[in-house]
Amino acid sequence: MIRATTGGVLKGYRRNLMSSFIARNKAQDTVLTRRNFNSYAEDPASAAKAFRLRKSRMATQSQYAICNDTYKKFQTAFTCLDTIDKLIDTKNGEPMSTLKSTTLEMLNDPKGDARTQLNKVLDQLSETIVQNLNQKYGDTFIFAGADGHNVPFEVKDNKLYYRGVSVDAARPNVLMDSAANPPAMVTDANGNYVLASNAEKSLNQTEYDDAIANGEAPADFITYHVTDNAGVTTARYIRAADAETMTTQEYDTAVTEAEKLEYLVNEKQFVDIGLGFQENEHGTLIESSGFNAALNGLTFLGYGQDADGDPRNVYSLVQKMREVANRVEDGDDWPKDVYDEFSGLVSKLEQASSDYKTEFTNMDAGTTKLKNNVALLEENFYNLQEQYSDIEDVDMADAITSFVWAQYCYNAALKVGNSVLSESLMDYLN
Amino acid sequence: MGTIGTFDSFTTARLGIYAAQHGLRVTGNNISNINTAGYTRQRLDQVSLKTGANDMYRSNLDNHVGNGALVVGINQIRDPYLDIRYRNITSDVGYNETMLKGLEDIASILDEVGKGENYGDGLLYAQLQKIGEALRSMTANPSNGNDGLVRTAAESLAALFNQYAGKLEDVRLNTEEDLSKQVDAVNEILTNIRDLNKSIRECELSGDNALEMRDERNRQIDALAEYMNINVTYSMEDVGAGKQVEKLTISLGNANPDPAVETDSSVLIDGVYGTQISIPKTLPTLNPDFGKKGGNFPDCLYLKADGTGTNDVAEAEALDNGNYTVRLGKLLDEKNREWTDSVTTWGPAQDGQVATRAEVSYTLTTNGQWKDKDEIIVGNPDITIKIGTDISADDANNNPAALAKIVAAKLNEAAKANNAEYTVLARGADIVYRSKKAGAVGTSGMANWPTDPTFQPAAGVDGQISFGPAQKVDGQEQVEPTPIPSVTVGDETTTVTFTITDGQWYQITTVTKRSHEVTLDDNDLFGKLQATRELLTEEGEFSSQDDVTLDENATTKRGIPFYQKSLDLLARQFAKQYNTLNQGYMVNQSGNYIDPNGKELTLAGTDGKDAPVSKTNGLTQSQKENLINNGYVLKDAAGNDVLDDKGNQVVDLDRWLAENNAMKPEGSGVLFSNRNDNDDPTNITAANISVSHSWSTGDVHIVPTHTQLFGEDGKPIPNTTQSENIGHMLTMINQSLVYDPKDIDPDAVGNKLFTGSFNDMLSKTCTTLGSDRRIIGLDLNNSSIRQVELDSSREGVSGVDLNDEAMNMMQFQKAYSAACRLMTAIDEALDRLINNTGIAGR
Repeated sequence: MIRATTGGVLKGYRRNLMSSFIARNKAQDTVLTRRNFNSYAEDPASAAKAFRLRKSRMATQSQYAICNDTYKKFQTAFTCLDTIDKLIDTKNGEPMSTLKSTTLEMLNDPKGDARTQLNKVLDQLSETIVQNLNQKYGDTFIFAGADGHNVPFEVKDNKLYYRGVSVDAARPNVLMDSAANPPAMVTDANGNYVLASNAEKSLNQTEYDDAIANGEAPADFITYHVTDNAGVTTARYIRAADAETMTTQEYDTAVTEAEKLEYLVNEKQFVDIGLGFQENEHGTLIESSGFNAALNGLTFLGYGQDADGDPRNVYSLVQKMREVANRVEDGDDWPKDVYDEFSGLVSKLEQASSDYKTEFTNMDAGTTKLKNNVALLEENFYNLQEQYSDIEDVDMADAITSFVWAQYCYNAALKVGNSVLSESLMDYLN
Repeated sequence: MGTIGTFDSFTTARLGIYAAQHGLRVTGNNISNINTAGYTRQRLDQVSLKTGANDMYRSNLDNHVGNGALVVGINQIRDPYLDIRYRNITSDVGYNETMLKGLEDIASILDEVGKGENYGDGLLYAQLQKIGEALRSMTANPSNGNDGLVRTAAESLAALFNQYAGKLEDVRLNTEEDLSKQVDAVNEILTNIRDLNKSIRECELSGDNALEMRDERNRQIDALAEYMNINVTYSMEDVGAGKQVEKLTISLGNANPDPAVETDSSVLIDGVYGTQISIPKTLPTLNPDFGKKGGNFPDCLYLKADGTGTNDVAEAEALDNGNYTVRLGKLLDEKNREWTDSVTTWGPAQDGQVATRAEVSYTLTTNGQWKDKDEIIVGNPDITIKIGTDISADDANNNPAALAKIVAAKLNEAAKANNAEYTVLARGADIVYRSKKAGAVGTSGMANWPTDPTFQPAAGVDGQISFGPAQKVDGQEQVEPTPIPSVTVGDETTTVTFTITDGQWYQITTVTKRSHEVTLDDNDLFGKLQATRELLTEEGEFSSQDDVTLDENATTKRGIPFYQKSLDLLARQFAKQYNTLNQGYMVNQSGNYIDPNGKELTLAGTDGKDAPVSKTNGLTQSQKENLINNGYVLKDAAGNDVLDDKGNQVVDLDRWLAENNAMKPEGSGVLFSNRNDNDDPTNITAANISVSHSWSTGDVHIVPTHTQLFGEDGKPIPNTTQSENIGHMLTMINQSLVYDPKDIDPDAVGNKLFTGSFNDMLSKTCTTLGSDRRIIGLDLNNSSIRQVELDSSREGVSGVDLNDEAMNMMQFQKAYSAACRLMTAIDEALDRLINNTGIAGR
């Protein structure tokens, strides 16, 4: 600059004073807001990152609430299941307080003096178990799977239904003809399916030939084939008149009911407790990213039938026990076959009890998982807060130092202002 | 020894006093104006006066001494180059300042840093997550109460969208108002400069430099530079009588990066003529061939709707001026007279014809005895020439050419009277009869062809003239060129006239230029006006092909419309996804679509075999081909086929399902609509997004599941807390989606603005805004520093400095005192000479 003029100096001073004032105000804002930046423009990358962390914190907060709620639901379920466990089998020494002890007492009551009484106890206990499985948490039924707004278990005619489906539903065991390709269900002359239980009554080829030789007509037999482990296929014959069969409609209905039951047992209801909750490319939830919050009563009490055709469900077993026990009049001794059957059912009840405990333990593991997850989410929440706080929040010592320095600069600029127009040659003219 | 005027020295002293006094006045004026905005320091121009330097009879012993100082003028001290740089940077500052202010206005709405709960969760940003929170709760228990919670969150979200959109629209309207005010301000400046030019010109004509007016004009030019990039030139204009005055011309400063564009150098001010700018609601359709020779309607500025040309704006096809294009009016002076510039050129006639024309000539001779009052009588035809009246006797006797001239003139008059087809003219001493008809040979075609002229001397006249033998010539002669009509091409009119001199035809060509209205290109301006226009028009990735054609950088420039459309796109995407998820069709426990009776729908493939239509596993390839073959192809809003990543057509399964009576879930329907009193999900924007009427009344609710369990017998197993569809909605909150600008603006050239979640899209928009603000802020800081530097430099040249002026004041004051002292000294010397000389011995 060749010439420094009064106006030029003043303009420069004004601009610099303004810059100094702006810097001071900015430092003041930083102190007052306690934030490193107050707009995206100041630090776009940090602002975007901070928002992402805040979003995660909000989601975590919400997931925490859901997880905690689910945990409490599972705790309530635990209490219910614990009560049921005590009703089924708890070694508490009190007579007639559990299903197991009651049935044992019945077995050990050969004269049947208390059989009726014990029968009633069984009935009450089983009803209590069902009532426990109809407990609610909040406004939803705990053990209703994905139908929490409806009572899951219902007893009709001493039969237990879960969401309208018999808990004893099972696919009928029908004889299969292994000679067909693929193996086909064996039917009688009316097209009805022949139950697998008829196999015991079947004749081998020699017996069949004898029967024909004795005047029975081939049309009186239902023919099918079995293949042994060595792969040898032989024909078997059942007298049609003796065969137990079921119509195709009955069969289809039974199969559908069994399918319903299988579906309901495996039914899931996922909630987001912070495990990712993501869907695959087909729009289906990746199961490991959610938590299955559906508690299904069937899982605990058992469902379907075993190979003997007996129910697996605790309630149904008890009802069958009662039915078996009721075949013997009060005061009569157990007939052997009835005793054996009752005893077999007692064994199956023990198995059901064992299965119950297994599922109970599994659920408890789920509860523990929820409990741990609640703690984890809580920790995440604070971690996230800390992370965005690191980005957003100022170091107050630094901010105050900056402000003091900006104030100092501003004061200095003001000071300079007093001397900008202090004197010129004019002041020295005489 | 030369002579010395007795009182010359008094003049020297007087001029010294005068100059010093002027100097003090200039210094005083500078000091007084030290705080006057735009004032340029003035300087006294004085020269040394010396008289009689070239005296012819000057003695060699005479030593000339100067006669003092003359004040010849007062000048300003300016550096034009600094002015140019200062004004260029002022345009930068104007642009950046206005752009930054606009972006800050947008940021005050969209930038949620530090806003919301928890000292910065944001508002819209947080509300998107609150929808997620409500949905998360609903996955656990899809009850009516939770549906209400989601709806309440959705209502808040829609309200925030509406609020943001409304505020952005307010910003747009305010910016539009700003633009209108800027146009007014620019027009006022242009008028001021034009009027100042006129005043300065008048002052200059009367010998005044009009320095103060120049200061004001410079101030106005500086102000104009803030609004647009300008180019200022000074030239000298000849005003006649050897006088020249300065002419100021201001044109646009070639801001357009496209070298093919010429409108960016349009003239704003040309001396006493000035234009006005406007941003009309509609623009006339410009004729691309205007001014192009050989083009269509080259003399027409505009095109009518039928494609023909016109110069009448009212007749031209009107186009909506959504681009806020600036128009320059004609250059007019203060009395609204149009600017014209005519250039006239002379040259040999280009359009003339050269043809043969028969001539018969006679050489005239005289005997030299003519005297006054004699009459020369020439016959065939008869004419009389009076000596002394028509021609002097001297010329008649001694100047055959003069005599031939008068004779020929008289003969020609007679020929005219007889409608003869020839003219008579003189060529030296020859009398020439010339055919009027071009192409005439010999005497053919010359009606009334005279026989040879005869001379009959009057009685008592001694004078004689004689005509030599006729000489027939088929001469080469130019004929009068065919008149050429005026031609107007563009704003230039060319007029051609012809004149003949000495038998030679000349063409006078006058080209008159007029100013015309100019529609500026998109990037012709820079400065505040351009920034405001860009804020109002730039759409970034939403730009159409037309926008890109107009400005190749259109897709990277973002103004209010970009942010409005980005917000619209986010709102539309949000509504679209949730509306889609809440509709759809029911499937059974196997994941196959069913009819209202719970029976599975079947669809044949191209192999003709029916199969269930599976949602879980998707259609089989055979089923897809069958549907595509039958026209079930997904179309976009514009009716074009939607293609997948591999470029294949996509099946429109929803249409097939709708046509085949697929079962819809109870309560399904749109959740968001374009008004809260309807269920119309089309054209949803941030401004109109609403919770649908049916959702608000409960007729529609969030569909928890699309699965019906075992309903074929009419008694499905209830699954009242199944919430897989809510799970979809929940995952949608964080799902990565493609944001296609074409969803908002089908003409957009961009096809992928961003890919990410709703929150990410909002964050991306804000990050873009923040980055733009940051860059513009840095540019502004940089340009304003340079502006202050340049201003200081200008001040260094043109500003008043008190030290300088103090020095000047002392200098002039001392000079004044010295001149006064000189006068006293001379007075004393003369007093000695006059009163005290020659008194010895008294």
